[in-house]
Amino acid sequence: MASIPAHEGFDAHHDDAHDHDHKPAFFARWFMSTNHKDIGTLYLIFAIFAGIIGGGVSGIMRAELAHPGIQYLGWWTHFLGGNDQDFNATLHMWNVLITAHGLIMVFFMVMPALIGGFGNWFVPLMIGAPDMAFPRMNNISFWLTVSGFCSLMISAFMPGGTGMGAGTGWTVYAPLSTSGSVGPAVDFAIFSLHLAGAGSILGAINFITTIFNMRAPGMTLHKMPLFVWSMLVTAFLLLLSLPVLAAAITMLLTDRNFGTTFFNPAGGGDPVLYQHLFWFFGHPEVYIMILPGFGIISQIISTFSKKPVFGYLGMAYAMVAIGAVGFIVWAHHMYTTGLDVNTKMYFTAATMVIAVPTGIKIFSWIATMWGGSLEFKSPLVWAMGFIFLFTLGGVTGVVLANGGIDDNLQDTYYVVAHFHYVLSLGAVTSLFAGFYYWFPKMSGRMHSEFLSHVHFWIFFVGVNMIFFPMHFLGVQGMPRRYPDYAPAFEYWNTIASYGYAVMAFSMVIFFINIAYSLVAGKKAVGNYWGEGATTLEWTLSSPPPFHQFETLPVIEDAHAH
Amino acid sequence: MSLSLSARQLAGVIRTFSIAAALAFAPQAMAAPAAAPALAAPVAIAPAPAASAEAAAPAAAAAAPVDKGSYTPMKPTAGKGQPVAKGMTFQDQYSPIGEEALAMHDYLLMPVIVVITLFVLLLLLLVMVRFRRAANPVASKTSHNTTIEIIWTVVPVLILVVIAVPSIRLLAHQYAPAPKGALTVKATGYQWYWGYTYPDNGGFEVISNILPDAEALKRGEQPQLAADNRMVVPAGEPIRMQTTGSDVIHAFAVPSLWFKLDAVPGKINEKVLFIKEPGVYYGQCSELCGARHGYMPIVVEALPRAKFEEWVKTQGGTVGAPAAAATTTAAVPAKTAPAA
Amino acid sequence: MALALDAASRRNRKVASMAAFGALAMLSLGFASVPLYRMFCQATGFGGTTMRATAAQAAAVKTTARPITIRFDGNVTKGLPWEFRPEQVTQDGHIGERKMAFFIAKNTSNRPIVGRAIFNVTPEQTGAYFHKIQCFCFNEQRLEPGEQVRMPVIYYVDPEMLNDPNARDVPEITLSYTFLEAADSAPAPLQKQVVQKR
Repeated sequence: MASIPAHEGFDAHHDDAHDHDHKPAFFARWFMSTNHKDIGTLYLIFAIFAGIIGGGVSGIMRAELAHPGIQYLGWWTHFLGGNDQDFNATLHMWNVLITAHGLIMVFFMVMPALIGGFGNWFVPLMIGAPDMAFPRMNNISFWLTVSGFCSLMISAFMPGGTGMGAGTGWTVYAPLSTSGSVGPAVDFAIFSLHLAGAGSILGAINFITTIFNMRAPGMTLHKMPLFVWSMLVTAFLLLLSLPVLAAAITMLLTDRNFGTTFFNPAGGGDPVLYQHLFWFFGHPEVYIMILPGFGIISQIISTFSKKPVFGYLGMAYAMVAIGAVGFIVWAHHMYTTGLDVNTKMYFTAATMVIAVPTGIKIFSWIATMWGGSLEFKSPLVWAMGFIFLFTLGGVTGVVLANGGIDDNLQDTYYVVAHFHYVLSLGAVTSLFAGFYYWFPKMSGRMHSEFLSHVHFWIFFVGVNMIFFPMHFLGVQGMPRRYPDYAPAFEYWNTIASYGYAVMAFSMVIFFINIAYSLVAGKKAVGNYWGEGATTLEWTLSSPPPFHQFETLPVIEDAHAH
Repeated sequence: MSLSLSARQLAGVIRTFSIAAALAFAPQAMAAPAAAPALAAPVAIAPAPAASAEAAAPAAAAAAPVDKGSYTPMKPTAGKGQPVAKGMTFQDQYSPIGEEALAMHDYLLMPVIVVITLFVLLLLLLVMVRFRRAANPVASKTSHNTTIEIIWTVVPVLILVVIAVPSIRLLAHQYAPAPKGALTVKATGYQWYWGYTYPDNGGFEVISNILPDAEALKRGEQPQLAADNRMVVPAGEPIRMQTTGSDVIHAFAVPSLWFKLDAVPGKINEKVLFIKEPGVYYGQCSELCGARHGYMPIVVEALPRAKFEEWVKTQGGTVGAPAAAATTTAAVPAKTAPAA
Repeated sequence: MALALDAASRRNRKVASMAAFGALAMLSLGFASVPLYRMFCQATGFGGTTMRATAAQAAAVKTTARPITIRFDGNVTKGLPWEFRPEQVTQDGHIGERKMAFFIAKNTSNRPIVGRAIFNVTPEQTGAYFHKIQCFCFNEQRLEPGEQVRMPVIYYVDPEMLNDPNARDVPEITLSYTFLEAADSAPAPLQKQVVQKR
């Protein structure tokens, strides 16, 4: 496999001369792209597209849950070609929605945006590399992800047992996903995970190679920007956890279609083992979704405080620690499956350990701002929102870590609130923070700071309205994955649904902002954030030349500490 | 003689005999082959007809003497054992484990997480005011302070240790085994209803389906939570609660008793359930089990022991010492093999 | 320049193959987890998995004075047209004492069916001490239409349990079986219909 083809045939480039870049024609550029920035852009566009669908699905869910009873599910069942006269098929539609929402948001929105989008765009730029180590493999990763998404969409129109589509939840627990769901829908959903997973594993290999081998002279591991550190840890988590998922879902597939009995007790299998395997992947997966966000927040806080990151080494190794501990806590997702007392005690203790490196990160961010000269540009506002929301989501994690407490909260809305605070309000907030931080760098046009701030405040109010009441629903005992509920749960559900409308309105502002900046935004200079922005991407034009760093930058020793 | 060999032989013998209709005395036949010396007392063991599950409901009811028992479903108490409108806290707890866990949540976890969250919020606000550009135009270049880094590593560790001690104690209490003779109830999850089996009372199974909303309201119960037949248990004594699934994984959960246990097919799980006082306690299936996952509520009705026994009789069940029956009952035809 | 590129390319390939090897190792571990998990459960009693003992091992065990009650439970998964129940609800004995219990199974359908019994004990931590010497669950069972059989299980509870602080206070152990249609059993007419529909 050829590496760094970017070098061949290009001798001298001026950083601001991107108009003279030898860009391929449209089809070759966007469909056969080997340029990390173009692939990053493709990933971001794809993630926004998938996010609209996944977010739309949650809109259907919130509308249905606004009041007790089944209001809209029948219509949607009919709309998607199902039999809305059959109440079971209508209820199955609900399970299809929750499954699709989970899978889309995890595998086709957050991961492509943070890793495929920002990772591809900025890892090479930040380490002073001309491109990723394996540009063509990079392209394969992207299109594998897209085909995975198509496979998932197709599954919605296939028979899935009780109704159309895969209604197994994103966890695809056996035996509901094997003997419990006859029909090709679940096969397509599983295949979709195979494709997305294969794409991510290739991407992880690419990132690891790039970060280890292609740093500019002088860019030692301990001088790398924290975003690159976060991507390195994320890539290792992907590399080690996704193959386990791949094995687990492959066995599901053969159990379903070829009569094997890996998870089928009839042949000596154990359905609980599937849960062990799934969560051995699933817990690192949640760090895969949040670690790049940690990296982005570190860059932003440092930039707008005009200070180097406080406790750089502690920050970097806290992420390594979070990644490592993430592999030995999986069974806290399975507290009620009938674990024995010693197992439960171990996982309770191990899980709580994660709070320590997470605390180090939160306090280090605040210490970075301490003594700084804060400029409240939109990325910083989003980043500070992230710190608060992530803390809120993190402390409920400490509650859930206690096996004895979790007995009452497992599979209730408290858990839904917890993981949406760390992901929907954590990872997604960091996504928007990164977006506003780097959008002018990527597009060459400034966004509206005013609209970005308005977007933040409305989004902040909206998501808190959606998810904070879910804590109340959870402690009151409302289970997850229910299309209907007892009247006592109505009050907070209605508020959450109104919150969704607020959040959706903030997204309209987001899209208006993008459209505005692309059409009428000011041209962005190379370093539009000023003196605080010290990483290598700010030494390039906005957007950077099609091929950057023809002459590798040299990192001076004095630069770092 | 290796175990596997003798076991295989034994199984082979069983099969041979089951096909050959001539054999009438299975126990002796079992004992006959290689394993014979190993069998001390058990040869004499005879079956207990009372344990028959399929016979229990119809047959036993017909065969039972006059006492058919009596039972009127209890009216739920508002705000007890069920969610309340606009509720923001845990449901009131009616089990010792629930009280211990709730106390730990309310007096330890909640204060800790509220203080941490407010502390972070306060620091953020402080930083925003003190170090905004207008107030602090020149940024410092401090990027290390070993003392403070050690503090914010050690203090969380200490907090976690403080949490871990009662947490581990709570787990130990939750796993305390049920005492000998505790009533055993087995909840079986089906797509999409619950079955409650009472092996100590004749092995009858109560099938519990969701009530239509209108019917639930008529009975003064919340829609989605009410069931046609309840799991009736005695209050004030430990119950050995077992769960299993018939098809896919379900979860038996009652929030006001701090109880949740998955019902996994091919496996039983067990926990002690102790309900302090009579009442109706509602729960719902808590593991995604297919289309009607949201439509298989759990209703536990706790009654004083005497009333519980009356209820058992209405179900055609037996009250007394079932264990004794197993050792005293005379032999019944051990084996029937209609097809030769 | 070409030489430098080759060197970089070689280095990249080396790191990438090491990473790919890591991924492949985890993939194999994922598949290997099925037998590994089974072995782990059988070795440690995890999840309430019971132990198997030879007659010789069983003969070496001394009966203690500690009483213990064994409770029996029988289930049939959905789709298997069998009746299956323990003949006795409970059995009183002592730790270390060898006992025999019976289960009754009946095929209520009109076709021969091979069933397979899976099992566990609760509380889970007693699995490592619950030894079966003989059990119908060691083999698959074939029942002819309408046939009823009485099946024995011979077991003892290892006195080692008294040394385990987590298990020694357990007064009653439940031994539960679930019969499933064995994977290689003759296909049920119902399943054939499903296949045709698809």
